[in-house]
Amino acid sequence: MAFSQETIEFIKKECQRYETRRSAILPCLYRAQKEDPNNQVTPEAVAEMATLMELPEVQINEVLHFYTMYNKKPVGKLHVQVCTNISCSMNGGREMAEHLCKEFNVNYEEVSSDGRYTISRVECLGSCDTAPMMQVNDKYHENLTKEEAVKLLKDM
Amino acid sequence: MPKCKINGQEVEVEAGTTIIEAFKKLDSEIAHYCYHPGLSVAGVCRLCMVEIEGNPRLQIACNTVVQDGMVINNNSEKVKETVKWGLDFHLINHPLDCPICDQAGECELQIQYMKFGQYDPEMAEPKVKKNKVVDLGSKIVLDSERCILCSRCVRFTEEVSKTNELGIFNRGDRSEIGTFDGKPLENDYAVNTVDICPVGALTSKDFRFRQRVWYLKNKETVCPGCSTGCNVKSYYNEEGLFRVKPRQNDEVNGYWMCDKGRDTYKFVNKENRLLEPKVGQSGQWDSQEVDGVMSVMSTKIDDAVKSAGSDKVALVLTGQYTSEEYASMLSYFVGHLKSKNVYHWVNNPESFDEFDGLLLRGDRNPNTKGLLNGLDQHGITAPWSDLETKLNAGDIEVLLVAGPEDPSVFPTLTEKVSLFSKAKNLFWMSAAKTEAADSATTKTWQIPLKTYAEKEGTFVNHKGIEQKIQPMVNIVDCAQTLSEVASALSGQKVDHLGSLVKDRKTNHFINHHGGGL
Repeated sequence: MAFSQETIEFIKKECQRYETRRSAILPCLYRAQKEDPNNQVTPEAVAEMATLMELPEVQINEVLHFYTMYNKKPVGKLHVQVCTNISCSMNGGREMAEHLCKEFNVNYEEVSSDGRYTISRVECLGSCDTAPMMQVNDKYHENLTKEEAVKLLKDM
Repeated sequence: MPKCKINGQEVEVEAGTTIIEAFKKLDSEIAHYCYHPGLSVAGVCRLCMVEIEGNPRLQIACNTVVQDGMVINNNSEKVKETVKWGLDFHLINHPLDCPICDQAGECELQIQYMKFGQYDPEMAEPKVKKNKVVDLGSKIVLDSERCILCSRCVRFTEEVSKTNELGIFNRGDRSEIGTFDGKPLENDYAVNTVDICPVGALTSKDFRFRQRVWYLKNKETVCPGCSTGCNVKSYYNEEGLFRVKPRQNDEVNGYWMCDKGRDTYKFVNKENRLLEPKVGQSGQWDSQEVDGVMSVMSTKIDDAVKSAGSDKVALVLTGQYTSEEYASMLSYFVGHLKSKNVYHWVNNPESFDEFDGLLLRGDRNPNTKGLLNGLDQHGITAPWSDLETKLNAGDIEVLLVAGPEDPSVFPTLTEKVSLFSKAKNLFWMSAAKTEAADSATTKTWQIPLKTYAEKEGTFVNHKGIEQKIQPMVNIVDCAQTLSEVASALSGQKVDHLGSLVKDRKTNHFINHHGGGL
């Protein structure tokens, strides 16, 4: 899939913004992920970015693989990231994640058969005072119970 | 220029020198993995720790510049303790499979472990599993578990070969070396990454599992692969040569060599060699003794000169031989025969002047310059077309050809042999066994020559730098050098060792400990 004209403009502009073009890799990868129908960054997208940014593919790939917030595999419509760091775990975050997997019949990091859900366990999202919590796409949902989480996701 | 004290020893270095370079200048030992003089500083292995007086924390020597009056040591208990722990961290996920690892015997990790370690690991956690036996293309295999992420290979592809194949993917203890989207690591300098890999993570497909490195001896020589003349070390044992590695020479090759040069050990070994003199033509050959062939050659030349003058004899030389050999052959021809019928066989005129910008040159001979110097000295200027005209007119009675040592760089070998077959008698001198030579259609004598690994002499590289090669093995007992051929032709009896030591038994154990081959 080729990038849209706006994305191409965006990448070119970002490249001008920093002292080195390598600094623009992060925002450009983020943009590429946003544009992908499966909310992921494919090797083809990296290759296209490399040509646009005049950087070696491998340098973009290094950044892509360093950060877990870039998806290397297809992701469902709702990307559910359940925090399983200390505070959330103490308040049942892990159990909540397990429960969601069972409820939607899907393994971690995989897409459910209806294409709606991907559930992943992540490290601290900085919302310890409202544990347990999950992030669905860009939004935080806090002070949850298993049942509330399921209902919330089904209603979305 | 700043002065500093290293382990009690005073040393003066140029401004901007790092502490590790000062250590190297003093030949003082310092542990390090990621530092390499030919690459940029990464500072990731944390092993080159030194204590600087007045500085509360230890510093890494590779990224700290020497200041005037610094008092540095790397032998205090504090440093030793730190290096020991640094090593322990490197070994957390290292499989410690030295007995089956091809790097064993020349592995930096093993060397440091024997020095600082020799303890049981203190980690209770299971080791992280990573990719093993990853195929990185036609030349290299990667074992990610052995990798200590020094990033030398990544910096090499970024800075030296500028091909950017390798990168470090993922993070933390899951980090590993890889290529983008499974692309192979195929460039003309790829195997240098194997040389600079301090552990057994990158191994060369050509060499792995063929020999334990402690059963190999090495000698310094010059790569005969092209006119750059990279300084190399050849590794050999009584069976022949096994590999070639570069050694540092800032004027010629820096720290590197190309992958084509690494193949130059292959044509030296027995399976590719002409093993005995033979006479015949068109695929029908009988073996001969060296002395017999020499006297036939001498008689044929004398007869031709006597009956029709020295114009009927010609010599063809390639840029594959040493300057000394050219000198003796040319002085025989010009001095003894009073003939200037000497021709320079350019093996690949189309790509002769090419250069890849780093090391590899299109002139795939080690000593073209030496040959041209020799021809100049004797005022020989005859162009190749002269020889072609004479051969086509049937004017050549006896033709001597000092042919290819490495036939793979002679793309038009068969055509040339059929041209040479127009002479009445052809004396084909070459180290190589080739189908082309066997197909010669005139009466031909084939005489085995020594390769660069079996003789001493001088190669002059493209810049005019004279470099010595030295003998290391004896593969074909009866092989000659051109100098020996020249002295035999001019009437001296050659005392070649070959017949004396034929079929002798070799004692591998004695060889290993420095006995003669």
